Amino acid sequence: MNVGGPAARVFGVFFPLGLKTGKTRALALLGLFPVLLAVVARIFLRGRSGDMAAVFTEILMVFFLQLYVVILALFYGTSVVAEEVENRTLAYLVTRPVPKPAVVLGKFAAYALLMFALVGVGLGVSFFVLNAPRLADPSLYLTFLRYLGVLGLGILAYTAFFTFLGALLKKAIIVGLIFGFGWENIIQYFPGSTQRFSLVHYLKSLLPYRPAGIVGGGGGRGVALLLFRLEPTPPLLAVLALAALTAVFLGLACLLFRTKEYLYEE
Amino acid sequence: MSAVIAADRLSKYYGNVLGLNEVSLTVEEGITGLLGPNGAGKSTFMKLVTGQLWTDLGTVTVRGRRTWNAPELFRAIGFCPEHDVFYEDMTGFEFVAGLMRLHGFPKAEARDRAARSLELVDLGKDKDRLIRGYSRGMRQRVKFAQAVAHDPGIVILDEPMSGLDPLGKRKLIRLIKDFKKEGRTILVSSHVLPEIEALTSRVVLIHQGRVLAEGDVPFIRELIEAHPHQISVRSSDPRGLAARFVGDASIQKMTFGADGRTLVVETHRRDEFFGRLTGAVLEAGIEVEEISSPDDNLQAVFEYLVGK
Repeated sequence: MNVGGPAARVFGVFFPLGLKTGKTRALALLGLFPVLLAVVARIFLRGRSGDMAAVFTEILMVFFLQLYVVILALFYGTSVVAEEVENRTLAYLVTRPVPKPAVVLGKFAAYALLMFALVGVGLGVSFFVLNAPRLADPSLYLTFLRYLGVLGLGILAYTAFFTFLGALLKKAIIVGLIFGFGWENIIQYFPGSTQRFSLVHYLKSLLPYRPAGIVGGGGGRGVALLLFRLEPTPPLLAVLALAALTAVFLGLACLLFRTKEYLYEE
Repeated sequence: MSAVIAADRLSKYYGNVLGLNEVSLTVEEGITGLLGPNGAGKSTFMKLVTGQLWTDLGTVTVRGRRTWNAPELFRAIGFCPEHDVFYEDMTGFEFVAGLMRLHGFPKAEARDRAARSLELVDLGKDKDRLIRGYSRGMRQRVKFAQAVAHDPGIVILDEPMSGLDPLGKRKLIRLIKDFKKEGRTILVSSHVLPEIEALTSRVVLIHQGRVLAEGDVPFIRELIEAHPHQISVRSSDPRGLAARFVGDASIQKMTFGADGRTLVVETHRRDEFFGRLTGAVLEAGIEVEEISSPDDNLQAVFEYLVGK
């Protein structure tokens, strides 16, 4: 079964559609919030030390990692399958010569790219506004790319999980909200290996800052907003874990969508 | 003629609710009308045929192939769903062209097919408007356009005329009949009898998940011998004519029309009655103006069969 070509065609339909929806416009507006915050912070920080910029940068990352990415992934991930069922548009997709997994993969890719663009623009503008005095410092760009990479992995992992939820459940949004803002927010602060049962744990393990006293022998620069109680997984292992979780949830979503019968509510 | 669509003891349950009950029928080339009230099982049957639902019991095949998870089959099938749902942020053109891309057509061809198909349903001028701004009739037409833009050999239309104005209906009927001339197989559902009658005489009557009857209208009429035929005779002397049939055992009931010129006869043996009517008219010298069968239409057949 060839899935690549059909998935690319599904991508070609849903990426431009995603750009036009009201949902995207609303979520893009939400993404402008950190830009506003960065502008205000920049005015406030005028003439102060660079460390304060780092503090605000981490506040930005809290917003992006623990709020924005989760919200985006929740809305777009569940819309891959669940929204088609809820809106009854599924018939248009499953009566085409396209294998069902290609529908899931194509829509997933379209929405992931869309989310990455939203996050990338929001993060890019706010990050460089906040760190404007250090624009000549090459390490700033490496930090930015690392942040962007972490958020990119977060988009993939969360979206895959919410796509799976959407393929499995009718009310995926509610369960997704409980997962994204309940489970993920609580479990990450549990000591020991329990925190490894959250996606955000692996994402935070990839962040550049290492707070002194919590993570032994770390760089000690920056603040611990995101790293409070973190017992990090080694970066390579964290990347592999995120990639594996993304693949597993996406694979399960494809399998479910292929085998499950979706009934409309009458 | 071989069956294009074949269902064999096909059953579908929605939990404890019966959607379709041991339906066995074949659909051949040409137009077949699926007729029944709302909730009869028409849409369930169409969803099973188009692989949107799996079968609980029995089988359904299109050109000999099972339809569940058979995407390649859909190169030859066009489906127009019943529900008035769309990707509302697309224009009509983007919608149809996008779906044509899913068929694997190159971008230029997909666009060309979309444009032609929308032109076919008189949406050429409005193709670049957002679907959310379309009227109900336009939405119905764009739904039809997406079902036929890839030139499928089998077209499955679930209540395609719902929401169309009389002119739109007439145009759609003509289009569907044109498709028939091209040798396609068209399965069309409706709960409105004149719509089906206007399209085809090959009808499947469906009610409460069961096929009540299938065939052309006269054939279906034959199936309901248990129910009397109504024959209306307008003449110069309806009472004189009635007097000649008073002792006739083949006649169950006679009534007179409000116009005072019509005799309405109910009989089980229509052909026998017509034979006697000719003799009676000639003997009595009664001038007959019109003979008609008021219930010789699908509405009457359907009502008889469902016992209304």
